[in-house]
Amino acid sequence: MTTDEFMDPTDTVAVPRQTAPRPETLDGKVITLLDISKAKGDHLLDRIEELLRERARPKAIVRKRKPTFARPAPDALRQEVLADSELVIEALAD
Amino acid sequence: MADIALDPFEALYARGVTDGLPVIPPTRERVAAALAATGRDAGELIALVPPNFGRATVERIAINAVMAGCLPTYLPVVIAGVAAMCDDAFDFHGVSATTNFPAPLFVLNGPVRKRLDVNCGAGVFGGGWRANATIGRALRLVAVNVGGAVPGTVSMSTLAHPGRYTYCIGEHEEENPWEPLHVEHGFAAGDSTVAAFAAEAPHGVYDHLSRTARDLLITIGKSLEVISHHKSTHHGDTLVVLSPEHARTIADDGWDKAAMREFLWTRLRKPVRDLLPGVDGGEGLPAHVLAKFADPEREDTLIPKFRARENLKFVVAGGTAGRFSAVIPCWTFPKSSHMVMRKIELP
Repeated sequence: MTTDEFMDPTDTVAVPRQTAPRPETLDGKVITLLDISKAKGDHLLDRIEELLRERARPKAIVRKRKPTFARPAPDALRQEVLADSELVIEALAD
Repeated sequence: MADIALDPFEALYARGVTDGLPVIPPTRERVAAALAATGRDAGELIALVPPNFGRATVERIAINAVMAGCLPTYLPVVIAGVAAMCDDAFDFHGVSATTNFPAPLFVLNGPVRKRLDVNCGAGVFGGGWRANATIGRALRLVAVNVGGAVPGTVSMSTLAHPGRYTYCIGEHEEENPWEPLHVEHGFAAGDSTVAAFAAEAPHGVYDHLSRTARDLLITIGKSLEVISHHKSTHHGDTLVVLSPEHARTIADDGWDKAAMREFLWTRLRKPVRDLLPGVDGGEGLPAHVLAKFADPEREDTLIPKFRARENLKFVVAGGTAGRFSAVIPCWTFPKSSHMVMRKIELP
């Protein structure tokens, strides 16, 4: 018996996905800082925004917020982030 | 060391499609037998399984059920369980991805319990019963293999609990002095159903001395009071599993489920002044709630432990001897995961 004879319990969608390629530089990029609505996520993002402005020259920094951390971001918000920015930093905090 | 090329258990573990325990190899013959028992098309889509929204077809569910050790006759229950846990109201995305504890707990009602020899009695949350053990396990394998809820990568629970291996019980309807869970929620007594809860582990409540409904429910209420932490509020669906002896004590006093709910919900409110963060522990009401009151330290407004009376759900289960019950906290975000029930379509 070889494992080729076994049926596949997974769905191809469920295969772990690759992360997107990392950018060479943050300069000239539009960066979205996404608050997932966890307590104190804004503290973390405020500090990240400060550091980004201090250490890089992004074209713009956009702040967005998910309605709740307990569910995926609504499609409209995802499309907005995708259309408006080249990079996204998502904050998890508590 | 076992040879991965030769040993099917090692090979399947290496492929990352198990729960860490050995699985039954899903051969074409075994899956075909499981499919035949459903009377459904292999390609029929039952649900998209969060968080990766993999396609749970009847065939893919059958493959996972075979691996879990299910008999073919269990398939209708597993299929109904997949539909229940993937209902939007259950928020399986959050349940799977959260740093919190939950695992779906499946509660079975109706004739299916007898037909499949589902344990509803002694040791109901424990091992030794094939239907309970493998139906719950099959649903977990679907979550991981189809939904992509891989522990430590997508599924980020800090501690989780052993119910993530398997978590399935039957209600002991024969010992339930009230209407069983499915009848209470609009199903016929002759229907078979599965209910999914986003549940923590059972927390034991001992009460050997109470002989009145009021006394016993005060004891149970004290355990409900400390769910999550002693100042946590606004919880959603929460399960109270009453043992047959405890259920009888309450029912013999003439109390029904509505009376239990009213008593517990009302008692489990606390004034704002007792819920302040930094007093008697760092936790407490969030800032946006405190901001509504001019002087929280003297504020008498009562804040409920449970958002609504209906969030308190009761089932009767377990052995006929023993004055033990259990409270099972569910995922703490009341606007998020709710109990979802589905009728089991038996062929």
